[in-house]
Amino acid sequence: MALRATIRGTSYRFGSVKEVLAKANPAKSGDALAGVGAADAVERVAARAVLSELTLAELRQNPVVPYEQDELTRLVEDTLDEQAYRAVKDLTVGQLREWLLETSTTGARIRAVSPGLTPEMAAAVCKLMSNMDLMVVGRKAEVVVRANNTLGLPGRMSSRLQPNHPTDDVEGILYSTREGLAYGCGDAVIGVNPATDTAESTAEILTALDDLMRRNRVPTQHCVLSHITVQMRALSELRCPMDLMFQSLAGSEKANTAFGISVALVDEAYAMMRELGTTRGPNRMYFETGQGSALSSDAHHGADQVTMEARCYGFARRYKPFLVNTVVGFIGPEYLETGAQITRAGLEDHFMGKLLGLPMGCDACFTYHAAMSQDELESLKVLLGAAGCAYLMSLPVGDDIMLNYQSTSFHDIPSVRGLLGSRPTPEFDAWLEDVGITRGGRPGPRFGDAEAIR
Amino acid sequence: MTTSRTRELIASLRQELGAAVPLPPPPVPKVEPPPVRVFPKRRPESRYARSAGEHTTALLGIGHVGTRYATDVVLQFQAELAVAHEAVGTELPDGWAADNGLLPLRTRVGDHREFLLRPDLGRRLDDASLAALRSGAQRGVDVQPILADGLSAVACMGSGLALLEAYTRELESRGLTVGTPMCAKFARVWLEDEIGEVVSAKVAAILLGERPGLGTGDGLSAYLVYGPRIGKTDGDRNMMSNIHARGTPPDQAGRRLAVLTRAMLDQGTSGVSLDLSKLSGELGEAAGTSYRAPQRRVRLVDVDRERKR
Repeated sequence: MALRATIRGTSYRFGSVKEVLAKANPAKSGDALAGVGAADAVERVAARAVLSELTLAELRQNPVVPYEQDELTRLVEDTLDEQAYRAVKDLTVGQLREWLLETSTTGARIRAVSPGLTPEMAAAVCKLMSNMDLMVVGRKAEVVVRANNTLGLPGRMSSRLQPNHPTDDVEGILYSTREGLAYGCGDAVIGVNPATDTAESTAEILTALDDLMRRNRVPTQHCVLSHITVQMRALSELRCPMDLMFQSLAGSEKANTAFGISVALVDEAYAMMRELGTTRGPNRMYFETGQGSALSSDAHHGADQVTMEARCYGFARRYKPFLVNTVVGFIGPEYLETGAQITRAGLEDHFMGKLLGLPMGCDACFTYHAAMSQDELESLKVLLGAAGCAYLMSLPVGDDIMLNYQSTSFHDIPSVRGLLGSRPTPEFDAWLEDVGITRGGRPGPRFGDAEAIR
Repeated sequence: MTTSRTRELIASLRQELGAAVPLPPPPVPKVEPPPVRVFPKRRPESRYARSAGEHTTALLGIGHVGTRYATDVVLQFQAELAVAHEAVGTELPDGWAADNGLLPLRTRVGDHREFLLRPDLGRRLDDASLAALRSGAQRGVDVQPILADGLSAVACMGSGLALLEAYTRELESRGLTVGTPMCAKFARVWLEDEIGEVVSAKVAAILLGERPGLGTGDGLSAYLVYGPRIGKTDGDRNMMSNIHARGTPPDQAGRRLAVLTRAMLDQGTSGVSLDLSKLSGELGEAAGTSYRAPQRRVRLVDVDRERKR
């Protein structure tokens, strides 16, 4: 396979598909840190030119981590939908981009070929697309899932309520939860990142959230984002309510080992949720990802962070999750340095996840040592909403007092909905109208009034 | 047919929006000023804000204007953001370590941007510092404390010296030998591995500015490792965060870190294999792995106004 392109008389030659994929990426500090990015803008275009001519079949034959070395590569290869794959395998990456953008390519047609795409294919086409390309296709690729709520319908934008507390004070968590609900937030999930990673604390928080949801008849889901083994103990031994089970995923077997997980372990957790989970389903899992996580445990196998991120989605789709989100600016400036890089990564991840059939949300966020302004962060939320992002986070003034980073606020969710004319999930929408938090989708008499929630 | 329909549409739009000017300006209404909101409320206005404040430092009960924040909330938020950004952006001045009687060290990082982008370079000393360490630092000590900037030089220059002194005092009072006081610029946590290895310390302890949160840039963290050498990982370390006046004050932190150090020397290990179950009373939060005490919010914006009504 010749991997060569000539631009203005200068010839560029690439050693492998993995190298082409990495050098085709827009500039990211994490790819520079890994030493895999393009040397300059011209080499980047040369790599894209080569990539545009590769067929999807060639990408399938060249996963960035070899089949023998990695269980995620084996999982993707062994479970790929051959019928769907045959429909697209002879397309080049450039042709796939154009097929996705065609008006006649509807969400349903994308959904039909999605099970035949590998993560490397999603990452490859992503690299040929501009931000607006990513938004246009991301918006078309609808993914609808159901637990207690029905998430991802057209014209809907949901939010995770994230009432974190630095010491897991349950009363404190409930105060934040009530206020968030009063702003119309929380229809994707009420999800707490615990400070203490114990089964007892997980069960205590879930029980308190469950009581609040029952008392107020809130149609949503709850989740405590402790390690998956801790949640399994809380569910099987303490028998607490658990609507969704959570885990962070990475894009290689080695990186997942650093997270303390494997395909076998998540299989076991999923089986347990199908038996003991407390929503009517059928979707019961919640996963988080984020560019750079594989490199941070030196488990990227020389691949770029966009491709490694796509591989997380190849893992996630096995479990038909209710929620997947990329925590896009959390990991720090050594992976995504600026507002432009964080914005690009958010739109990339949303697109790739949707293309691979996942109900993608995004934690649009920054840490205080990244070069992103609050204004840029607010813009990103609107871009994601316009791109059909299934949900964003929501916290009091966007400030996570436990994890110390800046995300989406309670006030941002109704603002973005107002700008884009979108509504929460139908079940939650009806509840908001009933309580008076909204009237006809706009702020109602009890809007922002936490006393409306008992 | 099409043309006449388009004409009809144009005509009806003109009629609807006004013949000459689309949407003519309506008469000016009387604009009542909204009530001035004070943030955080000096006298809590809502019962909810008051009772929530007893359980969480999250900003609750702040109300809304349409779907957005009141002006006072915006200003307070921007002030808190500025504090965090200032803490990250401030560099440790080159003469600061020597002026304070500390052996000055520097990592392989060239400038502040590179410090943020290249954690690997912040984990190793540059050649000059390595030579200075070899010639100027005491070897074979029980404990080598290292003060460093980390992600907040503001915190390092704030309560860094007080923490270093308190920790040293507590170690010496327990009969332990303490290495040459030193301060590293552009440093990451794992730098303690190389320094501890070079000076052959049994325990290395780096005290450095932690990643700022909203409104807080003065917190220090301490990371301790037994048998320091290059190649140690996070699981080999014990840490204590949130060291500052409103969290764990330096004196108290110094005492707890000395207790933790003593336990490492007694058990000959650190990190996940260190058993702290018998010390939880003495250690407080340092016995846990992830606990971080809540930080009380401080009002940052106070507009001095003498307004005649």
